[in-house]
Amino acid sequence: MKFNICHLYPDLLDLYGDRGNILALAARCRWRGIEPVIQQASLGEDLDFLGMDILFLGGGSDREQGLLVQDLMRHEKELRKAIENGLVVLAICGGYQMLGRDYQMANGKKLQFLGIIDIWTIAGEKRLIGNVVVEIDGKTLVGFENHSGKTFLGEGVTPLGKVLFGNGNNGDDHEEGVRYRNVFGTYLHGPLLPKNPRLADLLLELALQRRGSHVPLEELNDSLEELAHDAMVKKLMK
Amino acid sequence: MKRTWRFWLALWAGKFITMGLLVAGKKGTTLPGKIAHWIDPLIMRHLSVAYTDGIIMITGTNGKTTTANLLASIIRQSGEEFAFNQAGANLVTGISGALIQNTRWNGYSRASLALLEVDEATVPKFCEQVSPTLAIVTNFFRDQLDRYGELDTTVRMVRESLPKETLLVLNADDPLVAQFGTDHERVIYYGVERTPDSRSESQETREARFCPVCGIELTYMLFHYGQLGIFNCSGCGFHRPEPEILAQNVRLEEGLILFQVEEAPFTLSLQGYYNLYNALAALTAARQLEINDGFIEKGLREFIPQAGRMERFNLPDGEITLTLVKNPTGFDQVIQTMLGVAKPLRILIGINDLAADGRDISWLWDVNFERLGTHEASINQVICTGLRAEDIALRLKYAGVPVEKLVIEHALTEALDRLQASRAEEVAFICPTYTLLFPLRGLLESRQQSAGLSRPKTKAAGEGA
Repeated sequence: MKFNICHLYPDLLDLYGDRGNILALAARCRWRGIEPVIQQASLGEDLDFLGMDILFLGGGSDREQGLLVQDLMRHEKELRKAIENGLVVLAICGGYQMLGRDYQMANGKKLQFLGIIDIWTIAGEKRLIGNVVVEIDGKTLVGFENHSGKTFLGEGVTPLGKVLFGNGNNGDDHEEGVRYRNVFGTYLHGPLLPKNPRLADLLLELALQRRGSHVPLEELNDSLEELAHDAMVKKLMK
Repeated sequence: MKRTWRFWLALWAGKFITMGLLVAGKKGTTLPGKIAHWIDPLIMRHLSVAYTDGIIMITGTNGKTTTANLLASIIRQSGEEFAFNQAGANLVTGISGALIQNTRWNGYSRASLALLEVDEATVPKFCEQVSPTLAIVTNFFRDQLDRYGELDTTVRMVRESLPKETLLVLNADDPLVAQFGTDHERVIYYGVERTPDSRSESQETREARFCPVCGIELTYMLFHYGQLGIFNCSGCGFHRPEPEILAQNVRLEEGLILFQVEEAPFTLSLQGYYNLYNALAALTAARQLEINDGFIEKGLREFIPQAGRMERFNLPDGEITLTLVKNPTGFDQVIQTMLGVAKPLRILIGINDLAADGRDISWLWDVNFERLGTHEASINQVICTGLRAEDIALRLKYAGVPVEKLVIEHALTEALDRLQASRAEEVAFICPTYTLLFPLRGLLESRQQSAGLSRPKTKAAGEGA
């Protein structure tokens, strides 16, 4: 079985080892006998959102983000439709912000984004940098944040989790990321998925369900993943 | 020039302070130099006349210290004494201090040859007083503190202050340096024919895109690195001069650079093509000093590199190479070197996330460890240590290194024991981030010492493994 992973703008959005998320998804497919097919799509390319299983959007510098917002806007209608129909999306940092309404820059200007999710970002004065621990349903996520934008969620929009250590969305409301249908938006680099294998598998499971496969995922030996995860939780939460 | 009472006062004050510092257990040439220079502003001139065998000046942006140390290593082989401003004390005060140290209380010099590294901006002041017999100019690069335009000023000042009678040893491959030869009579050039990584296109930012003589964009046949390469100008005809000392057949082997100058093979126990240039500059100067090739070869081969840069240690269970890792490009080069050994490997990787290492370790995922995964058959074990030992182990798992070959050991002594345990024919590397480098280096040195062993020697080119 083939599994299609689309890495959008890998040439422009590839900060802080985010490539590791693709490596983790691909490896966890391969270990289960699923063949990962990775599409690296850049500016001006056609995208088939129906044919892809997981869409990955990483983070980039402000200059690069400005370049690709316009390109991303071309796909806005189709992407919105695919997301409403359950497309699995992992969006990190800049990619996460771009799914929201807009970005208010320090000079007061607003950069319009996709507006698929009711969230918005405001340029902050200081960068929020450091290790993060987030709680989701009693389990933890670990990662590393590095952002100056502060993101806020509209009414009724669900955060991905609660911040136990670090800043998260804006450093004020102790919330981190967003969960909307099968979209996971977050500030966590690290990269995120290798050390959070449960989340990686959740993405895979949701993607397979979208295809109509409801067979549970084969268990993997995640002792090293858990060791790395637990070491960080222990170090930060002591 | 007649030595005045000022000179004697300056010399004795300088000697006195040097002695005082020594008694206090300190080494220093800057303070004595400063005081002496204050008493007699012409102290450098007065002291320099004693060097009847010559004064060698080394300047340029990068490689001054390494070039000076390489040349010192060669001259030591030949047995000649020389004055030397070691440790990069390359301003007027440091240079004066070094010359004072080398001068006896009675004003006689201990050596008749001086080897002086001179900061680019100090060259005008230095040359006002001292006329170097030979001046090596390594290269000119902008460093991050330079503001726009300063590089050009520096280059011009150095060029204008070099005395006519000085023999210039110039890097032919750097247009900014090579231009010095266009209006200077006594010039000798060194250069590189090509390296395994020379390219016809450059991806790097370069200082000298334009001809330093007429300002038209330079055409390159080959780029070695940065703006160094084989160039010509279609406007005025300025071109890369034909080097008298040309490195040919350049190749990398087991962390060494091998090259030939005419028929003579040389081995350099340093990595990085910039070090090849440093070696060529030292070699060119050494030949001018009429040091024979045997001493030059040995001086280059036995040169001890900076701490933790492909540094080798002799331990009871086998030799270990220690090398700092701090960014993806550097780590990729280390991986290339390790796999180039073509023998089974044991690797110790130490990753810390303290401020000096970088708090964010996600750069590990930008390192091409997949190459280790592809060649996992030749990797016997990887021991992971440091505050983020689990992270590097996990990275290697996803790169395709079998989990059975991964060991996590936080304690450094135990990690080192694991590396050396039941070692057979394997080659061992240790790759730490910054804050782990010195603890590991200390362990390696003490184990080497307590076993009564000395540093491994680099084999001569053609001697075989």
